[in-house]
Amino acid sequence: MSVVIRGLSVTLGDAEVVSGLDTDIGGGGWLGLIGPNGAGKSTVLRAIVGIVDYLGTIEIAGRASGPIDRKERARMVAYVPQRPQLPLLMNVRDYVMLGRTPHLSLFASETRHDLKIVDEVLERLELSRLARRELGEISGGEAQRAVLGRALVQQAPILIMDEPTTGLDLGHQEQVLELTDELRHERNLTVVCAMHDLTVAAQFCDKLTLIDHGRVVTSGPAREVLSLERIAKHFGASVTIIDNPDVGFIVAPQRRGR
Amino acid sequence: MLLVRQTRGDLASTRCRAWQLLLALIVVALAVCTAAFVGPADLPFRGVLTTLLSKVPLLGVHSTLPSNDASIVWQIRMPRIVLGGLVGAMLAVAGATYQGVFQNPLADPYLLGVAAGAGLGATLAVELVKSFANWPVSPVPLAAFCGGVLAAGFTFVLGRSGGRYRAGATLVLAGVAVAAFFTAIQTYAQQRQTQTLQQTYAWILGGLSTASWQQVQIVVPYIALSCIVLVMYRRILDVMSVGDEEADSLGIRAHRVRAVTVLFATLGTAAAVSMSGLIGFVGIIVPHTLRLIAGSSYRRILPLSLLYGAAFLVHADLLARTIASPAEIPLGVITAFFGAPFFLIVLRQSQRSP
Amino acid sequence: MSTYLQSFLRRILRRRLMFAAIVAAIVAVPISPMIAGASSASSGNFPVVLKYPGGAVTISHRPTRIISLSPTATEDLFAIGAGHQVVAVDSDSNYPKSAPHSSLSAYQPNVEAVARYRPDLVVVVGDEGGLIAALSKIHIPVLVEPAANTIANAYQEIVSLGRATGNRARAQSVIASMRTRLASIVASAPPAARHRTYYVELDQTYYSATSSTFLGGVFSLFGLKDIADRAAGAASGYPQLSSEYIVATNPNLIFLADTICCGQSPQTVRARAGWSSMTAVRKGDIVALNDDIASRWGPRVVVLAEDIRNALVRIYGKS
Repeated sequence: MSVVIRGLSVTLGDAEVVSGLDTDIGGGGWLGLIGPNGAGKSTVLRAIVGIVDYLGTIEIAGRASGPIDRKERARMVAYVPQRPQLPLLMNVRDYVMLGRTPHLSLFASETRHDLKIVDEVLERLELSRLARRELGEISGGEAQRAVLGRALVQQAPILIMDEPTTGLDLGHQEQVLELTDELRHERNLTVVCAMHDLTVAAQFCDKLTLIDHGRVVTSGPAREVLSLERIAKHFGASVTIIDNPDVGFIVAPQRRGR
Repeated sequence: MLLVRQTRGDLASTRCRAWQLLLALIVVALAVCTAAFVGPADLPFRGVLTTLLSKVPLLGVHSTLPSNDASIVWQIRMPRIVLGGLVGAMLAVAGATYQGVFQNPLADPYLLGVAAGAGLGATLAVELVKSFANWPVSPVPLAAFCGGVLAAGFTFVLGRSGGRYRAGATLVLAGVAVAAFFTAIQTYAQQRQTQTLQQTYAWILGGLSTASWQQVQIVVPYIALSCIVLVMYRRILDVMSVGDEEADSLGIRAHRVRAVTVLFATLGTAAAVSMSGLIGFVGIIVPHTLRLIAGSSYRRILPLSLLYGAAFLVHADLLARTIASPAEIPLGVITAFFGAPFFLIVLRQSQRSP
Repeated sequence: MSTYLQSFLRRILRRRLMFAAIVAAIVAVPISPMIAGASSASSGNFPVVLKYPGGAVTISHRPTRIISLSPTATEDLFAIGAGHQVVAVDSDSNYPKSAPHSSLSAYQPNVEAVARYRPDLVVVVGDEGGLIAALSKIHIPVLVEPAANTIANAYQEIVSLGRATGNRARAQSVIASMRTRLASIVASAPPAARHRTYYVELDQTYYSATSSTFLGGVFSLFGLKDIADRAAGAASGYPQLSSEYIVATNPNLIFLADTICCGQSPQTVRARAGWSSMTAVRKGDIVALNDDIASRWGPRVVVLAEDIRNALVRIYGKS
């Protein structure tokens, strides 16, 4: 399913944090939102999920998302928040099971079918071993995978992730992103993801949209978007960009004055 | 294959198991039986049994008790037990619900000012209506009910303007303010009329000493409806534990769920306290004990709170009317005596977890 | 939450305190007001020193600006002819009608409001809110006349008020008249009433009074047996009885001392669940009393005794 955003504006309190933003991604694509802290990346994601009021249009698979019923939208769009509120006493399996909510009527209970989906995802995320452990007892990386698991059992064709690798070590970062990429190819999943690591963004995303002060600076493939000048201007960082066929596209920070 | 084996017989680990419900039902039945056969009036076991069975249609059993004793069992003891069970169930379910939708382990059914409002209603009714002889129903419970609903309504209207995802916290704070305000008026009204002080205190202190079938009839619809609706929301309350925003992303309208559950919990609580007065701690002790024993899922806590809440208050009232027999100990004192130390334990635990 | 808890506990506590005050007063009464040491030889001689439970007060001259924060003391003062010396009585003092009524509260007395009358004697039931200490700072003497638990104590308080106000002789004659009238009232009660059991109700949640209280003592004069005595160990002299105990005990007589406070009447009692099977209810042996009179220990105990006697005559016939 495609996601098309046109003229998106979001006002939180008195501040307009997103103004007239346009971007889009085709079905099965991976869109990375990059930009400095406070640029409005999270807000754009929350608008797509439908948990923040906005002006402008967001089209999901060609339908305006505004009128879509909340529950139906939850079956189309799954969300991994940046700082999920973890019920620490709940066990991993029950937590992941919450992702089945949009598929259940209000007062229904889960069926064996739901359970099977949950167990498959737990297996896939290597969480089966931890299924009975409480969220308060597992590591940050494991909890992050549980949150991803909750989003995956929603079986939504669109996956929205807000900096999903924050707090993960390199191995787990890679694991989460590779897994997302695999699923993307298996299920033709569309991924929209806010990312702070520009190298990783360049590696995984088909398309990057650079946002600053709630506006799009530029959109396109990583090699076009990530230039030394733009990174200096919008991130205030001096970097070296290595781009060669052997190691790929790397944005490496550089210490000033050297 | 491995997956199939794992899932078999393991459907939703949080679901309330049959044996847990059965055990709870047995505890309730035992509580009711003990309470029915024990009391300040020393009645023979067989007599009580035949009196109870004589009320079951088509059984053809006749009470072996003299009419005076039979009416003690059926008109005084039984309504008291049933009302106690209803009030206990309602307060425990409402307490668990409030803790769930406000994400606050210390929330109790009086969080939004129901108690203060009901107290004010009762106080005003006691003062303004001097003679109750020509009322079919005492106006005190009616006024208490209205006061309780009014106070919680105020809280809801005032607390709503707290922004979409801070609504819970704002509501709790509004509740504190409204409760303080209503309590202030209540205290003022009460001090102004010292003649009726005793009657106001009697209501506020809470108790089931004047329970009757008529009172049971009045509160049953409210309590039954509230409990049924709230227990139906048990799975949704688990979803609410991820916070409003994430619950919304899962297709739940968190603020609507909160509004509906709080509405029913409040209506039921107001109906319960209108008859029983302010009985504290039930809404906290029962759900928290269950959390320690049966885990944190509301799928278990809500149905079990219903049953153990009923059993707890029936037992507490049994103590209230027998410990110092034939004198009564106020029910609020019994629940507070067990509740206050327990409350501290829960408090310590909730401080320890991050 | 915590606000609710606090107020809840406070309420329980306040209620407990109210009763504790009554209890303390009752327990202490046996050593209650009497004249200390070698007092003045003739009535009206000042200064007098009066002891009360937990303290003593010295009254240097005959008081002419008395404030009574006790409905009973108000009745006593007017009965012994000290009425013209009284400048204000509390909001609950509704008898006699000629008393200078005020909005002063006996439960939460305001020191400034009391002091504004420039009283030279304040009579109270107990030391509510540190009133004694506060008034002693501005040299206003306070006389405590706690709730009496026997008729003898009630007489002593009248004597004490007589000495405090310079009306000793009138006080003595009031007591003498009370004694004679009570004796004749009791004598005119039907003998068939003796040893009958009764339940006296103080509110509609079945608070009652045992025979060790002043009220219970009045019933004892008639030889009546109090069903609340079995609960005497539980709670001071004022236990809350359980409904089923009252019904099971099936007392011969029910006295309602909650007709004014709580709107109770023989009709409301008859309508109570399970009570209709009681003999007293079926036969209509329910007696409505004036709770104002029944809750005070002043000269109008005679009226209370008369009401009881009349009810006994109605129920058990003439002696």
